[in-house]
Amino acid sequence: MKFALDNSIMVKGKIAASGSRILSNFHAPFSATAYSKLKNAGMEYYGYTRPDEFGVAPLFCDKPGEIAEAVRCVADGRCDVALGNDVFGKLRRQAPENGLFYIHPTYGTVSRFGLIPAISSMDQIGLVCRSLDDGFAALSIIAGHDKNDATTYPQADYSYSPQPGNLRIAVPDNVMQLADEKSRQAILAFTGVFESESFELKYFNALHQVQYILGCAEICNNTNRYDGIKFGYRTSEFSGLNELYSKTRAEGFGPDMKLASIMGCMVLSREHYDSLYLKAMKIRRLVKQQCDELFSRYDAIALPTSIEDRDEYEQSALYALATLAGLPSVSIPCMKDDTRCGVQDGGPGGRSSIQYGAQDGGRNVLNGGIQLIAQSKNEGALLSVCRGGL
Amino acid sequence: MDKQSLVDYEAMAKLCLTENERAWILEKAHLLEQSFSTLSTIDTKDVEPLVTILDMYGSLREDMAEKSISREEILSNAPERCDGFFQAPKTLE
Repeated sequence: MKFALDNSIMVKGKIAASGSRILSNFHAPFSATAYSKLKNAGMEYYGYTRPDEFGVAPLFCDKPGEIAEAVRCVADGRCDVALGNDVFGKLRRQAPENGLFYIHPTYGTVSRFGLIPAISSMDQIGLVCRSLDDGFAALSIIAGHDKNDATTYPQADYSYSPQPGNLRIAVPDNVMQLADEKSRQAILAFTGVFESESFELKYFNALHQVQYILGCAEICNNTNRYDGIKFGYRTSEFSGLNELYSKTRAEGFGPDMKLASIMGCMVLSREHYDSLYLKAMKIRRLVKQQCDELFSRYDAIALPTSIEDRDEYEQSALYALATLAGLPSVSIPCMKDDTRCGVQDGGPGGRSSIQYGAQDGGRNVLNGGIQLIAQSKNEGALLSVCRGGL
Repeated sequence: MDKQSLVDYEAMAKLCLTENERAWILEKAHLLEQSFSTLSTIDTKDVEPLVTILDMYGSLREDMAEKSISREEILSNAPERCDGFFQAPKTLE
C-alpha cells in the first residue's frame, strides 16, 4: 500500500509547513510516530499533501473551498491512503463527496507525536481511503500507545474487527430535518437494514460554537510559539523585538488563523472567560455525557455529511460531535442505484462499488454521504455497521 | 467586539493587522458573537468543565535520560544564530 501525509505530519529532514507561510522553511527535526510505523510496516511513502493552514479548514472564506489534496491524492489513485488532521470536518465531508471513506479514530488511540499542533484536545490523525479494508489496515499499524505522546491510551496495539451481534443505530430526528435531501435519503435507506431508532441530539445547535470557542483558545496558545526567533519564517524588516514578533506573525499567518488568534484572546480574556470559554468546557461535558448515555443503548449514531443552506461554520456542527467527545467515526459515500444506500456490488474491473465511485471521481454516482459515530475505542461497531450496510 | 477591543487583542496576539483585515475580523467576530449567544440558553449549573476527553490520567514515561535532538539540529531551523544560541534583537539599550 502507498500512503501520503498532510505536511502537518513530520518526516525528518523534510519541510513540514503545515500549510502555513510561518513554517514554510521549517525542516522537521524528527519523524512523526505515525509515519515511522507505516514505513516500518513496509508501506510505501508517496509524499506530502498540502493541508489547510495547520489543518484548520477555513470556515469563513467567501469562496467555496477547494478539494483537499489528501482527498484528490486518493481519489485519482496516486496513493491508497492519505493521513491528515481533520478538526472541522473538511476531510470527513469531502471524502464521501468524492467516493472515498474517511476514518476518524478514537482520540488517544493514534499518537500525535510529530503532528504539528493546532487544537490539541481535538487534533487527531485520520485516514482518507478508497476502501475500508485499506483504511483499517493502515489504522491498525499506526494505532497504539506511544511513550512520546502522554495522551495515548496504554494499550500497545489495536486490531479492528466487526462487532458481533445485532446492531442498533440511532438517527437524530432534529438533525435529519436539516439534512439535504440526498443525505437524508441515503441515511434512511442505509439504516433501514438495521434496528434503528430516532432520538433528539441535545445541544446540536451549540456544537459548532463550543468547538470554535475551544478551538480558538487552543489555536491562540499553540501558535504563540511562532515568533520568528527559534524556527520558521521571519519578517525581513523590523525595528526591535515587538515589531519582529508582530510583523513575522502578521505576514506568516493566513486570515483564518489571525481571526482564530484574535477570537482566542477574546474568549480567554477576563471579560469573556466564564461566559464563553468555561461555559463551552461545561457544555462539552454535557455533550460527552449524552454520548455515553446514547452508546449504552446504541452501537452507532448516523449523521448526514451536509446540511442544507448552511455555511461552513454551521456545517461544522455535524463533525463537532465526534471531535468534542473524542469518538471514532467513519464517513462513507453512498451511490444512487443501491437498494440500501445506493451501493452496487461490483464496479468496473470487478472492483467494489465504492472503488467505482472513487475511480469515477464521484460524478453521477454519488448520492450523499453518511457519517457513523461509535463509542470510544469501538471502531469495531463502525466496521460492523459498514459491512452490514454496504 | 469593538475596534478598541480588537486593537487590544491584536497586541495580545502579537499581530499587526491592516485596516482591511481589521474590518474583516470585526465583521466575522460580530457574527460569531451573535452565534455564541446560544450557549447562554443551556443550563450548566453544577456542571464541571471538561478539561480532557480521555478517561485516564496522562501515562507518563520513566524519567530516564535519553538521546534527544542535538543543539545543532535545533539551531539549524533558527532564522539567526550566534555562538550556539538563538539570536534576537536587543531588548535593552
